[in-house]
Amino acid sequence: MGFYVAKRVATIGVILVIISGLIFVITQGLPGSVARMIAGQFATPDVIAAIEQRLHLNDPLFTQYWRWASGILSGDLGQSLIMERPIGPMLREALANSALLATISIVLLTLVGVSLGIVAAIKHNSMLDHGISVFTFLGISVPEFFWGIVLILVFAGYLHWLPSGGAGNLSAGWGAWASHLVLPAATLTFALIAHVSRMTRSSMLETLRSPYVLFARAKGLPERVVLVRHALRNALLPTITVLAIDIGLLIGGVVVVETVFSYPGLGRLLIFAIERHDLPLIQASILVIAAIYCFANLVADLLYAYFNPKIRYGGTRS
Amino acid sequence: MSTDPPTPPAVLDVAALTVSYATRRGRVSALREVGFSIQTGETLALVGESGSGKSTVALAVMGLLGPEATTHGGTMLFNGQDLRRLTPGQKQALRGDRISIVFQDPFTSLNPGLPIGLQVAEPLIFHRAMSEAAALDKAVEALAEVGLPHPRELVRAYPHQLSGGMQQRALIATALICDPALVILDEPTTALDVTVEAQILDLLDELRRRRGLSMLFITHNLGLVNRICDTVCVLYAGSVIEYGPTAQVLSAPAHPYTMGLLTSMPRLDPVHRRTRLIPIAGKFPDLTQLPTGCIFHPRCAHAEAACRENAQTMAPVAADHAVRCWKSVAINAAQETMAPLQRAAVPPRVSVQQGELLLELKGLRKIYPLSTRLTRARLGIPGTRASIPWFRLERPEVRAIDGVSLSIGSGETLGLVGESGCGKSTLGRCVVRLLEPSSGSVLFRGRDISRADRKQLRTFRGLAQIVFQNPISSLNPRKTVGAAIDRSLANFSGLAREGALARRTEILEQVGLAGNYADRFPHQLSGGERQRVGIARAIATGPKFIVCDEPVSALDVSVQATVLNLLSDLRDQLGLSYLFISHDLSVVAHIADRIAVMYAGTICEEGPTDAVLAPPYHPYTATLLSAIPSPDPTVARNVRIRPRIDGVAGKVPMRGCVYHHRCPRTLGKMCEETPPPIVQAAPGHWIACHLPLAELEAMPAVLPIRVSDGLQSPAGGHASAAVVHSGTAPE
Repeated sequence: MGFYVAKRVATIGVILVIISGLIFVITQGLPGSVARMIAGQFATPDVIAAIEQRLHLNDPLFTQYWRWASGILSGDLGQSLIMERPIGPMLREALANSALLATISIVLLTLVGVSLGIVAAIKHNSMLDHGISVFTFLGISVPEFFWGIVLILVFAGYLHWLPSGGAGNLSAGWGAWASHLVLPAATLTFALIAHVSRMTRSSMLETLRSPYVLFARAKGLPERVVLVRHALRNALLPTITVLAIDIGLLIGGVVVVETVFSYPGLGRLLIFAIERHDLPLIQASILVIAAIYCFANLVADLLYAYFNPKIRYGGTRS
Repeated sequence: MSTDPPTPPAVLDVAALTVSYATRRGRVSALREVGFSIQTGETLALVGESGSGKSTVALAVMGLLGPEATTHGGTMLFNGQDLRRLTPGQKQALRGDRISIVFQDPFTSLNPGLPIGLQVAEPLIFHRAMSEAAALDKAVEALAEVGLPHPRELVRAYPHQLSGGMQQRALIATALICDPALVILDEPTTALDVTVEAQILDLLDELRRRRGLSMLFITHNLGLVNRICDTVCVLYAGSVIEYGPTAQVLSAPAHPYTMGLLTSMPRLDPVHRRTRLIPIAGKFPDLTQLPTGCIFHPRCAHAEAACRENAQTMAPVAADHAVRCWKSVAINAAQETMAPLQRAAVPPRVSVQQGELLLELKGLRKIYPLSTRLTRARLGIPGTRASIPWFRLERPEVRAIDGVSLSIGSGETLGLVGESGCGKSTLGRCVVRLLEPSSGSVLFRGRDISRADRKQLRTFRGLAQIVFQNPISSLNPRKTVGAAIDRSLANFSGLAREGALARRTEILEQVGLAGNYADRFPHQLSGGERQRVGIARAIATGPKFIVCDEPVSALDVSVQATVLNLLSDLRDQLGLSYLFISHDLSVVAHIADRIAVMYAGTICEEGPTDAVLAPPYHPYTATLLSAIPSPDPTVARNVRIRPRIDGVAGKVPMRGCVYHHRCPRTLGKMCEETPPPIVQAAPGHWIACHLPLAELEAMPAVLPIRVSDGLQSPAGGHASAAVVHSGTAPE
């Protein structure tokens, strides 16, 4: 197991090196010039040359990459060109905000999605099952920004129960803090819940039809034990895979939702950086997102191993 | 049965049980007025083909019928208490405690995510309110009782770490842990290899004697019934059609269906081995629209007008022996006089002597490399005991076929027999080059197929075909039967459109399907019909040689007989050669001129069928033979030879004889280290074994010989030699 984790972490290192190279090359290829963005439309060529000189923009590409990559390894993500501030603290703050939102969404997604899936499987082909099906498909079939705007209109604009955007401050009290998270988290969860609930439902149904569940019933076990210990545990395996994929989708969703709700997170920072052509900020943000995605998949694989002893102990039957 | 007053109350007394299922096609009548009873210590066999309703009986008794099932009537008295009147809670309390069950497939009956110990202990935790620790201690005892080695370690193991036989033992331990009054065994050995099956049967036999268990044994295999059951209840399409003591039912079956089951079974006994199988005519009825009158009349050779009109009732034919057929006595009388005639009518096929050499395998090997893995190792420091820890890369491999040389003459059938994982299917695929062998050569008419170019390979594909085990997964579900055959014809026959159409009809007729089958899709066919299509597709290319890879294993016994007869007929009509692969030695012995016995990628014995089935044996052949239960109650198995340990697939010794770790006759060091020599026991009969030939010859004959039939045996010299040993052999 230790060997497996070490191997996976090493693989992630290699992947991140490749991604960092790709990010660097692609962002260099973007149209437009940073120097011109900083200096403004009417700057003279001298001024632009001076800025390019100051920012080492004329160095060979590899030298620039090396400077950037070695900076990252020593914990220095560079300077934002537009805001002229170090990227590190800025990114950290945005990341903390986004992580909070994403974590709440994932927890909600798991709890609500898995519960709905289980209920739908146990009561399959009932009105309840069909109802859950319709509800979750509404979420997945319409993009996040639509439901985001609908929620803002209903709960902020019409009912005035919740704020329409921004992030709360803990100093203003827990309630105010939490109230800013409700709508964005609900939007993110609603968009993805169909994946989780449908997968849980179908794998739960398959597991409930399996001979080992029949055998568990034949042992005279209480239905609760049959469902939780024998069926659910195995039915969750495919759900974990879907959750790992959803973490990737969630990152995309976070960008949209943060924009809709003006939430000061990583997504909004990235949009800001792209709009202003702030290369170091784009590069750092994307690298952080890639790293999050890699580790999310690692966590999913470790959970998979925890639930499936065939992986944990190696050696499958031919 | 019910007229004897002094008999104690039965453990289970089922009467007039009627169950139906709601399906999309309408209501399926699964059981109609089914009745039987099991006394304390009795083992009752519930016999029937798929669709007979035998598993429905098990689920009904367990109270585990699904919501789509409706019980319309009847009683199920368990120790005098009607199971149908219990509340769900009471049923749950009985399940796993007083009545327990073992299902067919051990590979899927254990939860893959939980340790074995907990799964075995669970009934104690819930029925006896035991703590988990105490229950696990009991589980260790239970695992030891069913003969599992290292029970303490097994408690923490997971199902995938156990072989199929070990898993089935664990399931039996679970079923017995609360000391139930009744155990239901639903096809408990069908998914297992025959040597493992024999060990499980030995175990059940011993447990039954030691604990006085009452068992309901559900099976389709009459050999197993004869081996382990006291009473037989034969089910056909949801009705009991015959019920009586095992010896009587199997030696003097009273219902035409039971007779049909027996005559359609291929048997190893020399007398039966070569005789043509007599299948049951017609098709299994549609359970949504049952025939009027006797449910069996559409398939019965003796049916007359009265059978079509009058529903049949169970009537006694002898003490404790009842049958649902009013003509039973008359049919039996006719059968007595007809049986010898029928046997004589079709003379046994004379083995084809190896004439012109058609196919030759030389040192064929197929090796699958596994992914490289890092293993811990220690490097010793020379001259000291010290060592340094080190890692090294290991490149493990699986030797699916490890140096096989065989030959097949034209018109000859070579039977290839072996247990799951021995490499027989891989070999079959290498022979027609669906897989590339790692080394060695496949010579077809003297030309090496493994080096053939595209054009030569195309010609070869027309001449050499393959029929697969599972007809539903080997036919394209989107193509009609006609399209499947047309494809073969278009590729290989060179016929124009009209000619191909005529040829298609001709081929369908050859495999016994009417022309209108051409427009049907595979899902509209029964299992036997699908396999006929698989055969039609193979013969459409005009082959000389066909690999039959377990062609009858997925079929019910009566259907199996028709397909086996069809394959024999086609062979004789078209002058085909077969490589006939099967795990079932009885089937192979029925159809093959010569047999090769395969174990772990190597051939351990090869020779003419009669020679392989009589001493001298390879120890593995003897084990296989002695594991197969005979359905004939008048003969007892002479010898019981069991391998030393459960077969664990994949764990094959890399040195010496591949069989040495299971061999009951191993010589120790020599077998462990040196590959065995290949000894010629008689012309064309080869055995790969270290034991001296004299010792192999002195092994007792396994196959039973009836003294009355012994002289007529086509096995000749071998059979008479076997008579000498019969009865004297140790158990």
